[in-house]
Amino acid sequence: MAPPNPPLVPRRDEVIRRHRSSGGRLAAVLPIHYSRAVFRAHRMLPVEVWGPPGIDTSPGDAHLQSYTCGIVRSSLAFVLSGGLDVADIIVVPHGCDSLQGLGSVLLDFAKPRQPVATLYVPRGPRSASVVFLAEELRALSRRLSEISGIEPTLDELRQAIAREESADRALADLLDARPHLPFADADFYRVARAREYLPAEDFEPLARAMLAERVAAKRPGIPVVLSGLVPEPMNFLGAVADAGGVIVGDDLACLGRRRYAPGRSDDPWKHLAESLLDAPPDSTRGSSTADRLAWIEKLATDSGAKAVVFYLVKFCEPELFYLPQLRQGLEERGLKSVVIETDIAESLSHQAVTRLEALLESVS
Amino acid sequence: MTLGLAKYQHLAVSFLGRGALRYERLRQEAKLKRKGSWKSERFAPPLSTSPRLKELISLHYLKGRTADERGPVAWVTSGAPVEFLVALGYYVLYPENHGAVCGIRRVSEKISVHAEDAGYSRDLCSYARTDIGAALSGETPVGRLPRPDLLVACTNICQTVLLWYQVLAAHFRVPLVIIDTPFLYGEATERDIDFVRKQIEEAVAVAERVAGRSLSESRLMQVTRRSKEATELWLKVMETGKAKPAPITAFDEFIHMAPIVEMRGEQFTVDYYRAMLQELEARVRQGSGAVLRERKRLIWDNLPIWPRVRWLSEKLADRGVSLVASTYTNAWGELADLVDPEHPLESAAKVYLHPILNRGTGHKLATMEKMVRDYQADGVILHSDRSCKPYSIGQMDQRERLGTAAGVPALLLEADHNDPRSFSEEQAASRLAAFFEVLEA
Ligand code: SF4
Ligand code: SF4
Repeated sequence: MAPPNPPLVPRRDEVIRRHRSSGGRLAAVLPIHYSRAVFRAHRMLPVEVWGPPGIDTSPGDAHLQSYTCGIVRSSLAFVLSGGLDVADIIVVPHGCDSLQGLGSVLLDFAKPRQPVATLYVPRGPRSASVVFLAEELRALSRRLSEISGIEPTLDELRQAIAREESADRALADLLDARPHLPFADADFYRVARAREYLPAEDFEPLARAMLAERVAAKRPGIPVVLSGLVPEPMNFLGAVADAGGVIVGDDLACLGRRRYAPGRSDDPWKHLAESLLDAPPDSTRGSSTADRLAWIEKLATDSGAKAVVFYLVKFCEPELFYLPQLRQGLEERGLKSVVIETDIAESLSHQAVTRLEALLESVS
Repeated sequence: MTLGLAKYQHLAVSFLGRGALRYERLRQEAKLKRKGSWKSERFAPPLSTSPRLKELISLHYLKGRTADERGPVAWVTSGAPVEFLVALGYYVLYPENHGAVCGIRRVSEKISVHAEDAGYSRDLCSYARTDIGAALSGETPVGRLPRPDLLVACTNICQTVLLWYQVLAAHFRVPLVIIDTPFLYGEATERDIDFVRKQIEEAVAVAERVAGRSLSESRLMQVTRRSKEATELWLKVMETGKAKPAPITAFDEFIHMAPIVEMRGEQFTVDYYRAMLQELEARVRQGSGAVLRERKRLIWDNLPIWPRVRWLSEKLADRGVSLVASTYTNAWGELADLVDPEHPLESAAKVYLHPILNRGTGHKLATMEKMVRDYQADGVILHSDRSCKPYSIGQMDQRERLGTAAGVPALLLEADHNDPRSFSEEQAASRLAAFFEVLEA
C-alpha cells in the first residue's frame, strides 16, 4: 500500500507574511531553550533561526573566527545580510559559549537594526534555578512589552501557556508514535520542525493529522535513534533512508530534547521555568552523562532502535564532550553508534555517507 | 595501603622532597646573587623570588601526590570560589593549572593524545583534553595527581568547564557541584547575585558532607582575608608594569600567577607576593626594566600560548618590545576590592560573578582600552585561541575598534593555549614582523 500523503506544511515565509499582514509582530529566536508562550502572550510570533543552513557565511567573517560553529556563523551572516529584517526583535538564549559570544557581539558590536535580548537558562538542577529562570522570563517579557506595547495579564499568559502545552503534547505524541507513522523521515521532520515557526494552534492540527495515519506495524527498515543538534542539511535524512535506515527515536536538541512537559506550579512564570528545566537531558543544559545515557537508551528501548546516529555540527563543544562516554555506555548496552560531523553550510560528504552505511550494515 | 603506612610514606616523601626542594631553592638563590652569573642580552636577571615560586609550585604538586590518602581532595575550575574548600581542609587541584604545567613542559600534546584516542575531539578546549588525557592515562609531569573526592565547576569562565567536569564526574564517579554564574551581558542584578549566593551555600553543604566536617566561620574569614590580601598584592605586582621601563612583563606574570590561582587563601602566598612586590618596587626605583632596551610596550589579550611562551617572549624582546600587561593575569587581581572577609559568602557571590570572562565583549574592549591608557601601551596582541571560544569570540571586533576608534595598533595572532599543533612558528613570526613594522611607523 502506498504511504499516505503527508499533511501540507505552510512555508516559513508564507507564515511570516500572513502573521505580519494581520498586524502581528515577530521575534527571531536563536537556539535552544525558551518559552514560546511568553512571546504569544505579547501577540508576537517566535520564529526560530537554526543557521539557516546553506547560506553564504562570509558577511559574518569580519566578526567571528572560522573555528566558531556553523549555526552561530550562519546566524550572524543572516542577520547582517538582512535575512532577519522582518523581525521586530532578536532573542539569543544562552546555550553555549558560542551563542553567548554571538549574543554579546550582536549587542556590543554588530548592532542589528532591531533590539537584541538574551535569556539565561541556568545549569544544574536546583530549586533556585526555577526562581531565577522565572525572573529571567519575566524580564524578557518586560523587554517584549517595549516592542509590543502589551503587558499581558496573568490570564492571558495562562491562555498562551495552555495553547503551547497542547501543541507540545501533540509533538510528544508524534515523537512517541514515530515507529508507527508511515511517512518518510524527511516528511516527518518537515511537519515536526514546523513547530519552530508555526503558531501552536496551526501546528497542532498538522501533527494530529499525521498521527491519524498511525498503523499497527512498525516502519520497515533498520531502526535508529538520531541524536545531535539539528538535522541540517536535510538531505542527510535522505542518506539515512538510502542506506536502509529509519529514524524511530529522536534525541535532537531542536526536537526530542524540547519535549516540554507542563510545569507544576500555579504561578505561570515558575510553571514555565519548570517546564524548560525539566526537559529531557541535554548537552546545552550541562546534563550529566548518566542522565543522557539513560535517556538515549530509553529512546532506543521504547522505539526498538538498533543503533544511534550522532549527527553533529562541526565545532559544537557541548555535543563533542559527551560523545566518548555516551558511545561507550551505549556499546556496553549493545547499541552501536556512529558520529557524523558536518558544517551546516556544506553538503554531506561521501565519507559520512559511507560511515552511515557501514553502521547500518553492521546492525542489519 | 593502611592509613598509617600512607602517613609514613607521605612523611618520607614530603620530608625528603621538601628538603630537596629547599636545597634547590637555596642553590638557585645563591646563583642569582653571584655577580656575572646572568648573561642574557635581552632580559634583566630573574627576580630573586623566582626560586621560591618554583619551590611553592613543586611543593604543591608534591603534597598532591599522596593528598588523597590523607584528606579530602577537590578538583576545581580556575574561577571557582575556593575559600570554603581551603577552610574545610581540602587539597585543591586546578586541572587548568596542571594543563598549563604540561604545556610549559611541552607534554600537553602527548597527554592530550590519550584523550583524543579515546574519542575526544581535537576541537575541544586543549586544557580539557590534557586533563582528560591525564585522568585516563595517569600520565603527568608532576608525578601523580590525587584522585578527587569532589569536583567543583563554576561557569564564570565558560560553559566548557561544565561539560568537561561532567566527563570527570562520570569517570571518577564522585559528586560534581556546579556553581552557575549567569553571564553578564551588561551589569549584574540583585537576582544574579542572590542566585549565585544560594549556590555557594549549597556547595558548602556538599563540601562539608564529603569532607565529613563542618565549616568554621572564623576559619573561612581568615582564609578570605588572606585571599583578599594576596589578590591586592598581586594587583600591585602587576601595576608595577606601569613604570617605564616595566620591571615585569606579562610573560613573567603568566608564571608568577600560579600561587594566586591555586594557592589563594594561604599565608605563604601572601608572603610570596609581598616579597615579590618589594623587589619590583626596588627595580622601578632603579629604573631597571624586565626587557633590556625597552622601546615598545604591548598589552596581551587571552590565555598564553603555553608551549611557546619562551619563544614568543624572546621574539618580542629581540625587538625591544615589552608585554607590560595582560587581560588574563589582570583577571586575578582586578576584583580585589569586591572581597569582603567579614561577609565571605555574600561577597564571594559578587566576586565570582564578575571575572572578565563572565562579562560581555564590550566590557573586554573597555578593559583593554583602559589598560592601554594606564600602561601607556603602543599596541595590543590578541591571541585568537582556537580551542578557547569564550575568550576569543569578539576579538575580531575588539581589534577593529582598537584600531579605528582608539587608534591603537592591534594584532590577531592565531594559536592555541595548550595545543602546539595549532601554532605555526613561521606564520606567527611573519605576522609579528609585519606588526612590528606598524608599531615603528
Ligand atoms: S551548534 Fe553547538 S556550539 Fe553551535 S550554537 Fe549550537 S550548541 Fe552552540
Ligand atoms: S581555556 Fe577557555 S574553554 Fe578552556 S577552560 Fe579556560 S576559559 Fe574554558
